[in-house]
Amino acid sequence: MDKDTIICRCEELSFEEIEEVICLGAESFDDIKRITRCGMGPCQAKICADLVSKMIHEQTGKIYEEIPMPRMRMPVSPISIETLSTNSQHFSTVKSVLDEVELEDGKVR
Amino acid sequence: MNTSYETIIIGGGVIGNSIAYHLSERYREGVLVIDKKYPLSGTSGSTQAWVWVHNKTPSSYAEFSMYSAELYPYLSRKIGDVEYKRTGGLSPFFNEKDRDKAKRLAESYREIGIKIKVLSREEVIEKEPSINPNVAGATFSKIDGNVNPFRLADMYMRAAKKNGIEYSYYNEVIDIQKKNDQFIVFSKNGEYTCKNVILAGGTWSRELGKMVGVHIPVNQVRGQILVTEPLKPFINYTISGMRQANNGEVLIGYSMEEAGFNRSTTLDVMQETANMAMYYIPDLGKAKVVRAFSGIRAVPEDGLPIIGKVPSVENLYVATMHSGITLSPLVGTLMTELLVDGDTSLSIAPYSIERFK
Ligand SMILES: Cc1cc2nc3c(=O)[nH]c(=O)nc-3n(C[C@H](O)[C@H](O)[C@H](O)COP(=O)(O)OP(=O)(O)OC[C@H]3O[C@@H](n4cnc5c(N)ncnc54)[C@H](O)[C@@H]3O)c2cc1C
Repeated sequence: MDKDTIICRCEELSFEEIEEVICLGAESFDDIKRITRCGMGPCQAKICADLVSKMIHEQTGKIYEEIPMPRMRMPVSPISIETLSTNSQHFSTVKSVLDEVELEDGKVR
Repeated sequence: MNTSYETIIIGGGVIGNSIAYHLSERYREGVLVIDKKYPLSGTSGSTQAWVWVHNKTPSSYAEFSMYSAELYPYLSRKIGDVEYKRTGGLSPFFNEKDRDKAKRLAESYREIGIKIKVLSREEVIEKEPSINPNVAGATFSKIDGNVNPFRLADMYMRAAKKNGIEYSYYNEVIDIQKKNDQFIVFSKNGEYTCKNVILAGGTWSRELGKMVGVHIPVNQVRGQILVTEPLKPFINYTISGMRQANNGEVLIGYSMEEAGFNRSTTLDVMQETANMAMYYIPDLGKAKVVRAFSGIRAVPEDGLPIIGKVPSVENLYVATMHSGITLSPLVGTLMTELLVDGDTSLSIAPYSIERFK
């Protein structure tokens, strides 16, 4: 493949940019993702996942079938916050930062 | 293969890398960073990455965080653009009775010279027009901001490597032994000897401590984050709960759960986070969520960092904490002073592991 070939369309990453991270020791798609943002765009790695696995296989000699797949992240296909929301205004796990400030005898601890 | 080092740093997150980089400014040879995976696979790769000072308690800990925030502009000049932005930080409250708490927080900070304003409803809306108009007020501080955590770790690493620091990835440390004045570090790919060992294993610090018979009391606290599609810039400040990154994505979430090392995302917390998003900024309802991720915080038992020498084992050092993104420039600087000069320019005594005795 040409050095300038785009591997990740959403984040516009070329063959060369991904090759560099593999040279630095990356062994999985997620290693490359965290350094370059490859696969973090709206398509959620649907286009680039296999291309990147092939690159890792070709450059490191690792067995293709053993290269870990990217970790798919919910919701896989984008949905609106509205759809996800339940309209509840009761928060238990999600906190406000001020909730964590504790008072002791009327003073900040 | 070189197997003998002056110093071995176990853990290549922002903390291990900051220490490596700052050490490399003082001595260039004989430092090895070992990671069981690839950089950013720990907590540093799954974080909100606020550089956050205000709301931290006790106020001495806020002061400590402030010194670290102050180092960021200087750090960017040394290692390259880490997309640090001092946006100012806004912690909104929606209930008038929280104003009193906010005022007391501001008071306790005034004593140490950190300025926080307690804003009225109108002032919040003026600063952040898209916020829920039902907001009651907010605390505000100019010193807060955020950074790109991926760039931060990557730049630390590149600068450290350029200065001669060695790295070994996909190389899990399985045991550490002390023989006379030397440590022997046993790893998946071989054995190394060294004089100093620095434990910077984040969430895994407890396990690393066990290898040398030291109790490091850190617990795991999971946090889940929603990431939106890129939106036009419209959130001006780092809001406690969300921030907008340079590429337009909004990172939303401030959740705490005990789930051990389980890094799944769960629908209930995603929904609650979506509720929070719309409660804070109603317009976010229309925004698309591209992904959700979760990370595991390493939270020491009393919430404060554990930094410095481990007195019971000579030449053993530890650096683990929550808020490692905020604290990394300062921790790297102070740990380097401790190793090279034997003392630190700013006291780290309150953060000694001794306090858990
Ligand atoms: C959801 C969430 C939001 C957060 N928001 C913020 C924020 O806004 N601001 C802020 O300052 N902080 C925040 N944090 C916390 C911050 O991300 C962490 O404090 C920081 O990343 C810790 O860095 P670290 O280097 O200590 O740990 P890590 O990044 O976890 O690095 C530890 C490394 O040690 C390696 N390791 C462990 N055991 C071994 C072994 N046996 N052998 C070899 N290697 C080993 C691991 O592979 C890992 O790479 C947040 C955390 C979460 C989860």
